Amino acid sequence: MATELLMPKLGLTMTEGTIDEWKKKEGDPVQKGEIIYAVATDKLTNDVEAECDGVLLKILVQEGETVPCKTLVGWIGQPGEAVPGAAGAAPAAAAPAGEPAKAAEAVAASAPAAVGRPAGAYVPATPYAKKLAREKSFELSAIPATGYKGVVVARDVLGFAPAETAQTAPAAETVKASPLAAKLAGDLGVDLSAVKAAHGRVLAEDILAYLAETREKAEAEPAREEVKPMSGMRKAIARNMLASVQTSPTVTFNLGIDMSEMKRYREQLKAKEIKVSYTDLLVKFVAKALTEFPLLNCSVQDNKIIYKHYVNMGVAVALDNGLVVPNIQDADKKSLTQISAEVKELAKLAREGKLPPEKLQGGTFTITNLGMYGIESFTPIINQPEVAILGVNTMEDKVVVRNGEMVIRPIMNLSLTADHRVVDGSVAAQFLQRVKALMENPALMLA
Amino acid sequence: MPESITKEQAKKFYETMCTIRCFEESVKHDFLNGEIPGFVHLYIGEEAIGTGICAALRDTDLIESTHRGHGHCIAKGADVNRMMAEVFGKKDGLCHGKGGSMHIADFSVGMLGANGVVGGGYNLATGAALANKMILKNDTVSVVFFGDGASNRGTFHEAANVAAAWKLPVIFVNEMNCWASTTPYRTTTAVENISDRAKGYNMPGVIVDGQNVFEVYQAAVEAVARARRGEGPTFIEAKTYRIEGHFVGDPELYRKKEETMEIFHRTDPLKIFPTQLPEGVEFTQEELDQILAGAREKIKKAKEFAVACEYPEESEFLTDVYAD
Amino acid sequence: MRKITFSEATREAMAEEMEKYPECFVMGEDIARQGGIFGQFKGLPAEFPGRVIDTPISETFIVGGGVGAALAGARPVVDMHFADFIGVAMDEVFNQMAKVRYMFGGQARIPLVLRAPDGLAGGGAAQHSQSVESWFIHIPGIKVVAPSNPYDAKMVLKAAIESDDPVLYFENKVLYKETGEVPEKEDEVPYEIGKARVEREGKDVTIVSYSIGMKNARAAADLLAKDGIQAEVIDLITLSPWDKETVINSVKKTHRLCLVSECVKQGGALAEVAAVVAEEALEYLDAPILRYGAPFTPIPFAPTLEKLYRVYPEDLVKGIKGVL
Repeated sequence: MATELLMPKLGLTMTEGTIDEWKKKEGDPVQKGEIIYAVATDKLTNDVEAECDGVLLKILVQEGETVPCKTLVGWIGQPGEAVPGAAGAAPAAAAPAGEPAKAAEAVAASAPAAVGRPAGAYVPATPYAKKLAREKSFELSAIPATGYKGVVVARDVLGFAPAETAQTAPAAETVKASPLAAKLAGDLGVDLSAVKAAHGRVLAEDILAYLAETREKAEAEPAREEVKPMSGMRKAIARNMLASVQTSPTVTFNLGIDMSEMKRYREQLKAKEIKVSYTDLLVKFVAKALTEFPLLNCSVQDNKIIYKHYVNMGVAVALDNGLVVPNIQDADKKSLTQISAEVKELAKLAREGKLPPEKLQGGTFTITNLGMYGIESFTPIINQPEVAILGVNTMEDKVVVRNGEMVIRPIMNLSLTADHRVVDGSVAAQFLQRVKALMENPALMLA
Repeated sequence: MPESITKEQAKKFYETMCTIRCFEESVKHDFLNGEIPGFVHLYIGEEAIGTGICAALRDTDLIESTHRGHGHCIAKGADVNRMMAEVFGKKDGLCHGKGGSMHIADFSVGMLGANGVVGGGYNLATGAALANKMILKNDTVSVVFFGDGASNRGTFHEAANVAAAWKLPVIFVNEMNCWASTTPYRTTTAVENISDRAKGYNMPGVIVDGQNVFEVYQAAVEAVARARRGEGPTFIEAKTYRIEGHFVGDPELYRKKEETMEIFHRTDPLKIFPTQLPEGVEFTQEELDQILAGAREKIKKAKEFAVACEYPEESEFLTDVYAD
Repeated sequence: MRKITFSEATREAMAEEMEKYPECFVMGEDIARQGGIFGQFKGLPAEFPGRVIDTPISETFIVGGGVGAALAGARPVVDMHFADFIGVAMDEVFNQMAKVRYMFGGQARIPLVLRAPDGLAGGGAAQHSQSVESWFIHIPGIKVVAPSNPYDAKMVLKAAIESDDPVLYFENKVLYKETGEVPEKEDEVPYEIGKARVEREGKDVTIVSYSIGMKNARAAADLLAKDGIQAEVIDLITLSPWDKETVINSVKKTHRLCLVSECVKQGGALAEVAAVVAEEALEYLDAPILRYGAPFTPIPFAPTLEKLYRVYPEDLVKGIKGVL
């Protein structure tokens, strides 16, 4: 019996995932625990491990395709074993157990029907639209419907551009090639349509000639540009950042903070063998301020404001290939040492790519620190669906005036970006002032 | 004046009747043996009618036959080999196996076909008569055979009326065999003689002994002559009796077999043929036996021919639906 | 080009064919003395004495006699007065006319045309207004035609008379009075039975119709054009055997099919077109097949009710826009 490979549901709020990369090809042997493919969600990329030994029999969902959670994406089984329900079955057609049958009707009734239909739901489409989709290897369930009664019609298929599908199949179909040449091209990653056929159809020798020619060309003249597909995380960041600026009208507010007291506070703790970073301190102080300014700790949905009576403080962690924002849950209720330990652990997990999905969900506010790079001011982008983000800049000794005298103090700028839909300038300013007051007079934390 | 009959003619009559009888007996045997598909209706005991009528016709004259049509077809001169092949549903049958017993036809001898619809032939015969007389301007005569059962169809009225009104060369030959399938004619029909109805159309109605080939022939000769003269249709009622069931395999629960056999014993046209011979015509028993044996041999060969024939090719299935 | 009415066009066709074929004649009720109730036979009796025949009110004879005349070698045209009356002679149509060729293995040739004036004519009510073509496309062995304009009326009737197969020629009573361009005889293009015509090219939807239904098809196409929707309009002309290829090719181009006729929608003649397109070209359809026809009720008399029986171009427009 072949074993199903399903799109995992990584955390409560995940509804769909994108196959970022297949680590195995059809026919490759796999061992239990081996990574078979990577899934990208809008938060991160996760590896999925094989649950049993065998061979990757069939890939049903190609790289770049997005399917709902629990959709069948492939099969693992014994070599030569037939895939259940084969004969070119539509990939997303496997119905997840217990999926309510009403789902199909719900899709049929909505006009225009939205993409992201439940997996296995019948996709109402005209015969001609189905024919076109088949020819183009499009997944019907991915195509938004604009036809009568919410049916997918031909124009929907013709106007559909799959998000990130590398359209290799049509090229292979249209180019005539010998079987050997086709296999060679596949193994060497050569696009058949780029190969010139010396004798009507592409032969193996044509491919070798093409490779030699391109190599020569490459050596003679280094490429000035290079096109590379985005990683799953990069796509997630791109998508989220774009969505954020398209969603929120933002204003950024800058305010300098005298960090003298914070420095002293930190030294005192250090003396007691308690090591905390400025980030840890910021999490603690900002969380306190947020409990007093609920508008900075809310989210917006349609015409409603959702106030959160908890503070899940996101902390942006830069990685080699991007960034993630894990959050410290209930930061307002945690001690500084708890916060410190958690920040360290999250950063470590993030760099190892082992962050559990739930740590990436449910944030209410984000802190992002570029101080280590000497940045003095910037305009961070809000991590949706939050309504504000606090940018932390470098700390520098500056000449300031205190009691009519010029003195030197460690000053750190905070850059608060807030969503003007709910956070007006005065509110944002008062919040920043409160953060400043707390940090400059830590005793207030107890007040 | 009745036409005088030569021995040659009489011999021909007897030969035809024997051929029909042997044909029907052979068909009955083979049908019961499961060699013939569908259903068949036999003419045994009624041979003198078809024989006498058709003997008065030219090859070019036309007849419309009935589901009980083998006798008409043989009498009109169809080839018995190809007839038998048709009854067997074979490729070399008259209709290439597409018609069978109920739709047997041979246009080459003016036999325009048996009709599976009881009473389906009147209008066809009358229309043909109309065309010949009024449009094609020749003296061809049409004959339509029908039973007492068919005489109750409305189609008879429409055809008889037109034929009489326009004096069309058509002869209505009623084979009054007393049975409409399983129903005795008197239970459904008020007139004593079907030919009584001819008066209603202002056409002559003649009653003849259907078991007497000479009497039938004389009536036909007169009717044909009248038709060719342009004087219009004639109704000939030939009194006969259906010896066989409605179809082969009919359990005949509606009548007594002994009664039927008693009638057959008295009226079998082959048996009483010598008693009906016109003056001056004589046959020895040996001569008659020889004719019967000849007919038997001819039908035996016809059966062999039919059995040896192939069934139609599958490619023939869709041909003949349309002419162009 | 000269313009004549549909009725005159059929009269011309008759005259030319009767001139060409001496064996061609026409019979029916009230056609000689009256010239047909719609004047479609006017003048022919004088031109062809004896070949335009007033029959008694005997539909079974008119049709059955026509079949018989064809069997005898004539080329008859028979007139049904009103298409509604064909039912009277149904056996003659479907058991005789349609089948004699096939069941006799190709021996028979039936060059017969059955003319049947049909359709709503204002107050004709249930027995004088029907469009009954769909009954006949179910019968192998006959051809069914239904022209929509004077030129076709003439050329299709000529083709029907020249055909060696039985042809049912449906002529719409409303169309009789309509005029249209008909070229002089020497410029005529013969019609080939079985061919449809793409009357108007378009890319968005294929509208198929015939006879009076074409008025709806054309008007709907005009209305759609105002909104930039290009309808392809096909006049089927022959309903059996119909031109599958032309319709399917059009559907492959437009991906939408709309069918309209005046007959009852349920089991209507174009239901066959819908079924075949679904069978053979389903993958080219980008919308459900739309069908317009009469509701499932006998035809009412009162003008207010008769109005509800009709299809209007706006119905098609609304339906087509709903699936674009």
